[in-house]
Amino acid sequence: MTTEQKAITINQLRKTFKTRHGFWKRTTRVTEAVQDVNFDVERGELFGLLGPNGAGKTTTVKMLATLLIPTSGTISIFGQDITQHTNEIRKRIGFTFGGARGLYGRLTASENLRYFAELYALPPEVTRKRIPELLELVGLSTRGDDKVETYSSGMQQRLHLARALLHDPELIYLDEPTVGIDPVGARELRATIKNLKAMGKTILLTTHYMAEADELCDRIAIINNGRIIALDTPSALKNRITADTVIELKTSLEHLPALKTLLDQLDPLTSVTYTQNTHEEAVSIHTVQPGTVIELLSPWLNTDLVHNMEMRNQTLEDVYINIIQGDGK
Amino acid sequence: MKTNFFRLMLRQMDVQLRMRVLSLWSLGLFITQPVIFSAVAMFLSRAAGNTNPDLIYTVIGGGIMGMWSGLVFTSTFDIRADRREGTLELIVGSPTPLRRVVGFRSLLNILAGSTSMLAAILAAVLIFDYDFSGINLPGVVLSFLLLFFGLWCMGIFLANLLAWSRLSGTFVDLLEIPVALLCGFMYPISVLPGWMQNISTIFPIRWSLEAMRDAMKGMPYNAELLTKWLIALGISLVFLLIARWLDGKVHDHIRITGELHSI
Ligand SMILES: Nc1ncnc2c1ncn2[C@@H]1O[C@H](COP(=O)(O)OP(=O)(O)OP(=O)(O)O)[C@@H](O)[C@H]1O
Ligand SMILES: [Mg+2]
Repeated sequence: MTTEQKAITINQLRKTFKTRHGFWKRTTRVTEAVQDVNFDVERGELFGLLGPNGAGKTTTVKMLATLLIPTSGTISIFGQDITQHTNEIRKRIGFTFGGARGLYGRLTASENLRYFAELYALPPEVTRKRIPELLELVGLSTRGDDKVETYSSGMQQRLHLARALLHDPELIYLDEPTVGIDPVGARELRATIKNLKAMGKTILLTTHYMAEADELCDRIAIINNGRIIALDTPSALKNRITADTVIELKTSLEHLPALKTLLDQLDPLTSVTYTQNTHEEAVSIHTVQPGTVIELLSPWLNTDLVHNMEMRNQTLEDVYINIIQGDGK
Repeated sequence: MKTNFFRLMLRQMDVQLRMRVLSLWSLGLFITQPVIFSAVAMFLSRAAGNTNPDLIYTVIGGGIMGMWSGLVFTSTFDIRADRREGTLELIVGSPTPLRRVVGFRSLLNILAGSTSMLAAILAAVLIFDYDFSGINLPGVVLSFLLLFFGLWCMGIFLANLLAWSRLSGTFVDLLEIPVALLCGFMYPISVLPGWMQNISTIFPIRWSLEAMRDAMKGMPYNAELLTKWLIALGISLVFLLIARWLDGKVHDHIRITGELHSI
């Protein structure tokens, strides 16, 4: 019963890719794309998967979508094992993968949807009703009869969502759904995603936009090098770093050592991250005592040592960067 | 379920026609290429001393060449394009088995390829005044249907090989011309040495093609014709069975190696 309640249960999931190179001298490169991943997603939950490029997000989603077979470990979807009930599960899930691939360019949006509706064996009367509704939902009503090859990448991305929703799946995977979508469109898309959640759908989302994850997700898993390194609600993740204020400033490369000596005087609870550009160093100081930091730096304001100082609240992005950078050490 | 089967068939064939078949390139494939084959065969035959080249081998041979190339080209092109465009994983991830999609597609690909044969026969009649009076028409039609079925089975088999990995496409491309040569598309198979003829026995189309030529020459329903039909049918079914067996293996294999999509 307990697992029945869960939309997704993942146990010790692992995926290893072997790719062969060379013709005469065959070498095999082994990529551990996903290693020992465990997490559950509750029914009706909106779950976020965050992580740097190549972290294993898409690989995880593809395993959940029956498109990759795990090297080891188990996945159950609504309590059913994914390798044993592949076909039943396929009827209950919908998925999109970021980018403009996955559509037939010489067909119109409606024709694409009609084709995929047929692959999901929708009755014709349902398809007829559903296609205009979905085009409306993703804001493509006026372009439904245009060939997809004339679409911008953002429009193709929207059409992907419509395609994923055709058969009204209970569980939806959205791999970078807002990539390439303009800010207004992305906001509309987030509203659509919230709407889907309100309708009781379970959603698994990957994204590189931290604000988006913060706004949408009930829980977030951060994955790095194929392993989950943090899993919690956005607010709990933000509370992980005791600091709640971020002071950001820029310094030139030549003055960096001097600034570092200065900042070393700060108490150990304050964390400082340095990000280097070509001729500038961006410094983020995470602190619970912004007053102390400002006091320390104030004599140097508007000198070459410290320019562009800004103060703001901690965001999920700060936490994310902190966790990812901490993972490598 | 049955109605869905036919709806999917029509939809799939429609998509296939517009996505992959209707293009200038395939016009060349189905019309220009067979015409060149036929013409060259005529000239070769004349050069060999035949004042009256046998249209069954030259013109009709061009037609079958068009059907075969059409099948190989479109079938290999399909899976590759789907893999590249990211639609292969959408199809595999849907509840409809890939084999059904592939089956309907191959059907359309061969139907499209049949335009070559039609063009060849029209050319034989209209341009070269081919005399059809002595032919065993039902025999020709049945042989053609068997040829069609054999090509379809081979198409499904090849599609499975192509789905297997990104590399196998190269291998299938290499088959195109050798199979055409070995099966004697443009000349009687008897001109080939025995060992070469033996290789071609594994292709159903070799048998149906021979039967079709025999029937065109007016061969009645005798044991020889019947045997060729039965062999053609039998080998076609073997290809189909192997393809069906491969199907499940391919479905697992590509999901293990991750070659469902190109990265
Ligand atoms: N089919 C494949 N064959 C071989 N290696 C693969 C395959 N798919 C993914 N990988 C490798 O697995 C690792 C994880 O890739 P994955 O696509 O899951 O990352 P991701 O987290 O989705 O990254 P991104 O944010 O860039 O989308 C990478 O090192 C990638 O090169
Ligand atoms: Mg990805």
